[in-house]
Amino acid sequence: MSAVPTAAGAARLALLIDTERCTGCKSCEVACKQEHRLGPGEARNRVLWLGEPERAGLSFLTLACQHCERPACLRACPVHPKAIEKDPLTGVVRVNESRCTGCGECVIACPYSAMGFDARGHHAVKCDLCEDRRARGETTACASVCPTRAIRFGPRDALIAEAHSEGRRLRDNDDFLLGPATVYLERVRADAPSSSPQRPAFMDAPAAQAVVQRSPPAFPYGETRTATASDRSVPGGCNICFNCCSATFHFRGERLVRITGNDADPILQGRVCPKSQLTLQLYDNPHRLRFPQKRVGVRGEGRFERISWSQALDEIAERLKALRAAHGPEALALFIGTRTGMLDYLGTTRLFAQLWGTPNHEGTDPFCASSKNVAYELTQGRIGSGNSYTESDLGAAQLYVYFGDNQAETRPVYFGLLNGWRLQHGAKMVVIDPRLTATASKADRWHAIRPGTDMALGLALCHHLLSENLHDARFCADWLLGFAEWRRFILERGYSPEWAAPITGIDADEIRRLATQIAAADGCVIFASRGINQHSNGTQTNRVLMFLAAITGNWGRRGGAYFNMSASTPIAPNAPPERRVKPSRPRVRRSPTGWTEAMREGKPYPIRALIACNNPMALWPGQTAARDAFQALDLLVHIELFPNETSAFADYVLPAATGIEKGEIGRANDDRRIVWIDKMIEPPGEAKADAWIWIELGKRLGFDDVLKEQYKDPRVFWDEVCIDNDFLRGVTQKRLHSVPWRWVRQPVASEDAPEIETLYLEGSTAAAAPPGHRFPTPSGKLEFWTEALDAKFAQLGLSALPEFYSEREQLVDLPYMELVDSDADVGVISPFCRPDTSSARGRIRAASADGPGAVLRAQGFDTELVTGRPPAAHFHSLTHYFWQAQEMWPDLYCQIHPRKAATLGIGDGARLRIETAHGAIDAVAWLHAGIRESAVFIPIGWGERQPYHPWRSVNFLTDKNQRDPISDQTNLKSLLCRVRPV
Amino acid sequence: MPQFKLTNTVLVALVTVTVVAILGWLVLRGALPPAWRTPGSPPLYLCGLAGALLLLVPAAFAFAKRGGHSRRPVAWFNAHVICACLGSALIVVHSAGHLGRAPALMVLALVILGALGLWARLRAARLLAATFGSKVAVFAPPDAATRARLQRVLERKRALLPALAPDANEGTFSVTLPLLLRNPGAALAYRALEREETRLLGTRRALPAALAGWRPLHLALAWIFVAGVVIHVVTVTFFAGYVADYGPIGWWHLTAW
Repeated sequence: MSAVPTAAGAARLALLIDTERCTGCKSCEVACKQEHRLGPGEARNRVLWLGEPERAGLSFLTLACQHCERPACLRACPVHPKAIEKDPLTGVVRVNESRCTGCGECVIACPYSAMGFDARGHHAVKCDLCEDRRARGETTACASVCPTRAIRFGPRDALIAEAHSEGRRLRDNDDFLLGPATVYLERVRADAPSSSPQRPAFMDAPAAQAVVQRSPPAFPYGETRTATASDRSVPGGCNICFNCCSATFHFRGERLVRITGNDADPILQGRVCPKSQLTLQLYDNPHRLRFPQKRVGVRGEGRFERISWSQALDEIAERLKALRAAHGPEALALFIGTRTGMLDYLGTTRLFAQLWGTPNHEGTDPFCASSKNVAYELTQGRIGSGNSYTESDLGAAQLYVYFGDNQAETRPVYFGLLNGWRLQHGAKMVVIDPRLTATASKADRWHAIRPGTDMALGLALCHHLLSENLHDARFCADWLLGFAEWRRFILERGYSPEWAAPITGIDADEIRRLATQIAAADGCVIFASRGINQHSNGTQTNRVLMFLAAITGNWGRRGGAYFNMSASTPIAPNAPPERRVKPSRPRVRRSPTGWTEAMREGKPYPIRALIACNNPMALWPGQTAARDAFQALDLLVHIELFPNETSAFADYVLPAATGIEKGEIGRANDDRRIVWIDKMIEPPGEAKADAWIWIELGKRLGFDDVLKEQYKDPRVFWDEVCIDNDFLRGVTQKRLHSVPWRWVRQPVASEDAPEIETLYLEGSTAAAAPPGHRFPTPSGKLEFWTEALDAKFAQLGLSALPEFYSEREQLVDLPYMELVDSDADVGVISPFCRPDTSSARGRIRAASADGPGAVLRAQGFDTELVTGRPPAAHFHSLTHYFWQAQEMWPDLYCQIHPRKAATLGIGDGARLRIETAHGAIDAVAWLHAGIRESAVFIPIGWGERQPYHPWRSVNFLTDKNQRDPISDQTNLKSLLCRVRPV
Repeated sequence: MPQFKLTNTVLVALVTVTVVAILGWLVLRGALPPAWRTPGSPPLYLCGLAGALLLLVPAAFAFAKRGGHSRRPVAWFNAHVICACLGSALIVVHSAGHLGRAPALMVLALVILGALGLWARLRAARLLAATFGSKVAVFAPPDAATRARLQRVLERKRALLPALAPDANEGTFSVTLPLLLRNPGAALAYRALEREETRLLGTRRALPAALAGWRPLHLALAWIFVAGVVIHVVTVTFFAGYVADYGPIGWWHLTAW
């Protein structure tokens, strides 16, 4: 409902909350606090969970004032005239704060518990349907940002008429004869939970909340409306996640006062997730690093002295030179996390590594997505799907199948778009995931698969399609290379649904049903993500699912795709050949966790220095080994926003700028959109942009002819260095700034080239490919199997034909990957990595009753541990320094099935200990019936030195040695653990 | 002109100063002249008088915010807090440290009132804020019987309302102090129906007892204190001999019964 009623046409106003759309992302909560500058503990709206403790089912419901016909709050107010008023025309109930004495009777009286209270200012607070925004003709803050359009605002009668026209059922919410105005729409599925509201116990634990409430929040929260009224707005984007939301930054003078979505964006239309808005708490944050520091205590002690930039950079440069002289240039490793920004990750630091001469330069890919990247490159010739989040492309699908992808929480805005199209077109949704995630809660069917066995499911789906001839024979004949060999392999191996059922825990009939459904759909989008990638079989599982999409014709068409986030950002500048120092030794391993033996033992050759632009001491799998390794380093430089565990270990801590403090593009984007973010404010203290730091360090090492002074301006660096290729050449600063949404969808080879909605359509030629090559592979076809490919796999002891294996730590005996070489060994040069990279060889070990899983089970490790992304408000450790993100999701939690918890004597919110063969951590229990009874889930991102809720990282439980030999991806999704109450 | 804000910091400072002053006086009173140690002596009598007058402000606040004529109820609230602190200190001084006698119950009432107020401001406010979205009855399947009973209460309220406030809308109406004074019978009857409706909604029951009950307790104690003050004034004024154990009477009185 976009129309906002004017005073002249006043009608009863209301919110409409659609429980079928709401994913519980809490973007509305963040928007509300921003708009009304509410501090910790204050609420005008809040998301509730609906569901019964013992039944797997999940719905979400946003609670805000109901603006009742007979407001109990108003009648309970003892002040005369009342401190709560009801507008007779619009029906809006509001608090007159100047008359409220803070007695709290209204809060007690509201049966919906939708009255808030300001415990600092001592007065009631409540939703007034954004009175000020309405006066400006705008919709409410919550409705404006909602990623799923679950919240609409407008005249109540019109909202009801709209709901009826959509065939939706209204919820009878007038339990108390108060005449609530808010319109709630029931779930479409009749069996979806619609009652028993609750919030997970840990979420509102008083002790956890008290931590957040202890200190007053920074500007603009708690300020008056006048002090935070914006006088200008600048379009830009969010730099946190793969959704790459366009955003609008609102300023009062030079101060940032609000971050909202961008209504002008033709795709996102103002939708924005909580993280983007929460970056308001990133830019004015008391915890930020402000000055360069040098360690004066022992590693890990956290004692530092403040030094100048020139001293820091001079000393680092001198120490690096000494290390190079002693150990060679490869002794320096660069770990460039995504926090650094894409321009620095793919641009500045890449040039620095080339000029210095180290191959040991890597980001977070081997933890997140290297398996999918390798699989895409092998099959399609290029990373990422060619499809777009438009109604005529992804929105046109008849079926969405999610494998290990909780899109509703990892890319909430994209999921909001898809969920809307699903409802609009009646498309079906199936989710394969060990957990009933927010995504799964919207699905027609949810299959709680055994972690690490998606490959078996994919093979069985393919087997059924091929054995029943349900595949798209024309597409297979015309566009697949090696299809016949692969088909024969699948059928000969007998990867049938019956074979897969005991492995996956999914009934054979259900597998057949899903296969048939995929084949029959006129457009099926198979989504996959970290649940597929983060396994030692990640590359092969991705390939199998790619083949599944391809043989059903769901590739290179609108509404059909294999879609594993995200598309690559094609920035790959090179220093002039004569300036590059060719490393004399290959990269130790692709995965930074494979560097730890080089740091600790000097094998296969020593790594003595690390420059880390992220938080490896929370992020790297196998923390115990990582910390040993970091202790052994001669030099650790940490470039960061906030002090964390890595900072505490560092020799030098350099404060970094981010986002609108430096100017950059958004992350690698699902939708191939390059989102430009201008520099708008100065960083705090003496913090500097990463590019500034690398260029200044480069000056001291003689790199300033390549890492030029003018590249400190990201706009110059972008236009002159980053876009010199066929994909980005048209994405110039001029073009980016010519549109009010500040993004351009690549590839565009020239400034006036049109954006392409769907790549690889039949009859088209792929960007930068020879004429007639529909796909950017050597053959122009999707490549399943070739002799050359098989030879590459053979170098690692594997076959291009994906033979099933799972993880070594399972509750049943399954084939697993065993690495022949340790990280201390040279191994072989991987045929799948650039630059030259050593890799371990692997071999598939048959299932056996005395395998590593059986040994662990005998030791009492009886539970599957799944790790993964926390809910939408959090992203890695960055957001844990935002007070509101911590208010919404405070403590490290462990999702556990209520029945399992009962057998262990663990209550909701109780502290528990999780142990694996690799380490132990504590967390608080979140009893959730939507998880396999044999599994627990723990999110990433928490760390020991975070200011609000410090917890040991989940990576104390993970194992650095369980990796995919093809992509060096670590298994983070399937380990055995034991759980006990603390 | 910026409005005075009674922040938690200001409140804690105010209460701290009051408590320190009281404790200081209790410690030092042995060193003070006898008149400052003798109940009913002129200086302590005046302390009591001043304290009682200051403690009338909280009572006046209760009427001001309900009476319909206060333009600044928040300022009245702040005055009630400040005057209660000052008044309490003076009442303790007035007691001359004789805390074993019946009037000391009033001092005890003041202490409890103060503690309740402080707890409400510092702790209950946060608990209250945390109740948002916590009442589990919301979005539960409607209870038909409760709805029917609520419907009957509503009908009775609507039938009674014209006698009380003919132009009022039941949905936004509640009994006010002026109405109670003008038409006590109808107002009390209506008030009873309001209470019945609240009971059926079960909102107060849905909260922890401390949170739901502190304010009724605070109000009740305050009125008990006021009653105590009245009894004390009457006693010392008319039964001065009895109060002085038929010894010398050092304060102004009308009769020495």
